[in-house]
Amino acid sequence: MNNNKLLSTWSKLTSKYSIYLVLVAMVIISTIISPVFFSGQNFANISRQISITTIIAFGETLLIIAGLIDLSAGSVLALAGVLSVSAYKATGSLAVSLLVGILVGVACNFLNGVVATKFKTPPFIATLSMMTIARGVALLYTKGQNIYQIGDYIVWGQSNIFFLPTPVVFMIGIAAITWYLLNHTRFGRYLYAVGGNQEAARASGINVDRTKMTAFLINGVFVGVAGVLFMSRVNAGLPNAGIGFEFDAMTSAIIGGTSFSGGVGTAMGTLVGAFIMGLLSNIMNLIGIGAYMQQIIKGAIIALAVMYDIYAKTKRDTRKLGNIEERVQGDKSVGA
Amino acid sequence: MKKFLSIAVSLMLFGSVLAGCGASKPAEQAAPAPAEKAATAEKAAEPAPAQKTFKVAYVARAQSDSFAAWLANAVKDEAKKYPNIKLDVFDGQASDEKENSMIENAITSKYDLVIVQPNNGEAQRPYVEKVVKAGIFAITTNARISGIEGASSVDAQPYEQAAVNARAAINQIPKNAKVVVLKGPSGNFHADERRKSWQTEFFDKRPDVKIVGEQIANWNKDEAMKYMEDWVQANDKIDAIIAMNDNMCAGALEVVKNNPKYKDVLAYGVDGTAEAMLLIKEGKMTSTCLQNAFELAEKLLDTSNKLLTGQQKKIDTDIGNPLVNKENVDQYIEILKKSGAIK
Repeated sequence: MNNNKLLSTWSKLTSKYSIYLVLVAMVIISTIISPVFFSGQNFANISRQISITTIIAFGETLLIIAGLIDLSAGSVLALAGVLSVSAYKATGSLAVSLLVGILVGVACNFLNGVVATKFKTPPFIATLSMMTIARGVALLYTKGQNIYQIGDYIVWGQSNIFFLPTPVVFMIGIAAITWYLLNHTRFGRYLYAVGGNQEAARASGINVDRTKMTAFLINGVFVGVAGVLFMSRVNAGLPNAGIGFEFDAMTSAIIGGTSFSGGVGTAMGTLVGAFIMGLLSNIMNLIGIGAYMQQIIKGAIIALAVMYDIYAKTKRDTRKLGNIEERVQGDKSVGA
Repeated sequence: MKKFLSIAVSLMLFGSVLAGCGASKPAEQAAPAPAEKAATAEKAAEPAPAQKTFKVAYVARAQSDSFAAWLANAVKDEAKKYPNIKLDVFDGQASDEKENSMIENAITSKYDLVIVQPNNGEAQRPYVEKVVKAGIFAITTNARISGIEGASSVDAQPYEQAAVNARAAINQIPKNAKVVVLKGPSGNFHADERRKSWQTEFFDKRPDVKIVGEQIANWNKDEAMKYMEDWVQANDKIDAIIAMNDNMCAGALEVVKNNPKYKDVLAYGVDGTAEAMLLIKEGKMTSTCLQNAFELAEKLLDTSNKLLTGQQKKIDTDIGNPLVNKENVDQYIEILKKSGAIK
């Protein structure tokens, strides 16, 4: 009896925290195969390496939960970053540089929001246009050249706050903000509602457009911050920065359990997803796996991790609710 | 009404962002002349009554690639010195398919001469052959597509650019050294040639040297940083960073710049970017090879002019591959200062 209870608790835990288990398993395996893996320095490395895409991933998480998407994140990061670097070079003020980065991110995402909500353009297209526009503006502004000699601007990306790298502190802060927004605010509940069923949300009195717009604006803040951190980390203003970052960010969110069908996703899940991705690249470099092989292994492990996660969750749901497909079919036959 | 208001506001907002960009021009751009100037100059070069004006198309590999952009800017500026040449620049967007269709468009639009900076030499070869067949002058550059009947070329040699570094490294890299290698995108002509050169000129001659990490960082500084962070973690020492371009070399150095264990690390690149010159000056980077876009642009326009005015039928020419190290870096920094790339 006692044994049974233990087993069921264990099975409940594994299904609820399946993706966390994947991460723990990866840490254990990595520790076994590489003697240098398990150290504070290496965890600082991984956190620093993933911090920028993870910050974007939190923006994507908010958007994907509401049934939206942002393909422009990488380009807007570059635009916000180069303008922020220029602002720093012009004014010498770190505060102004951060502010400019955030404002550019917000302005671009305001446009994303207007095009997606007021004009009912699919967010895929709205943000795809912004992706090419923002990249174009960044290249035009810099004439395709990198900006060097950026002085103390590197404080944003290369300093430490106590023992933590500054970008990691930003990542943790933004994780906390995202978690708070999703779990403890009306806006968070609206996001899930809009993503789960837009018409039902509208019918229950939620201002759908405003909710979506707010999600875009918050995403803009995150992307702007990421742009500043990126340029500072590389000690240059790179107009071709961040190509494809939005896909890495979305991958982190999806591995962490966010669903492209909307209405599902958590901040902690995204953070874990980002760590799974970062840890994977890190361990493969530590043990010296070749570039081509890395791509294959990465793809396979991402697929396996998500397959296991979905398998574990389905098992839980089946236990709770019975077979979902049967139920759906049953509902249909009732309707007919 | 509300809708229109919101559009107007958003346009204004975005406009103000753009205006903000224009107001403070970054002084560190490698190319000297501002874009507006280039545009007016292109207009100014409209047909003069007495002289025949030639239409020249410059099909760039990708204007988002910082070297390709530097070259395109330099070509634009150089063209202003030739009143008989009207130059249009096209962007191949790092795609073979897009670049090929731009070459085809240039044939259809009856340009007098087409300069092609290939994304991937072999993919553009049949299209450059089409240019020649249509009776239009063709020049391939950076990198040359060799062996096209009737086409000219102006280039730097990627093999030599890496080789000048590799030959110097033979005597600089200590015995039984551990090194890391950062490569450009696979399948890219310059990336492959430079790596091949390091193999033949260095690794084959120094079997004692061990490569402890080798990855493709796609010419990018940030990707190079990630790899270097992991390599520093995995190895107790790294004696040299061998990078196929300066961006990646600078990225790797960024990781170890404050690490006392790495203060004597050797670091090699190619391109001669402003950043690399400054790193060499500071003693952080060992050497690079200057791929001088100004010199390439001068030769391109000179070659174009000679072909168009009938002075010559076919020209194949190369720019130099000067090794830049601590001893001679000052003279190159002077050139970059004059061009406004560094202050």
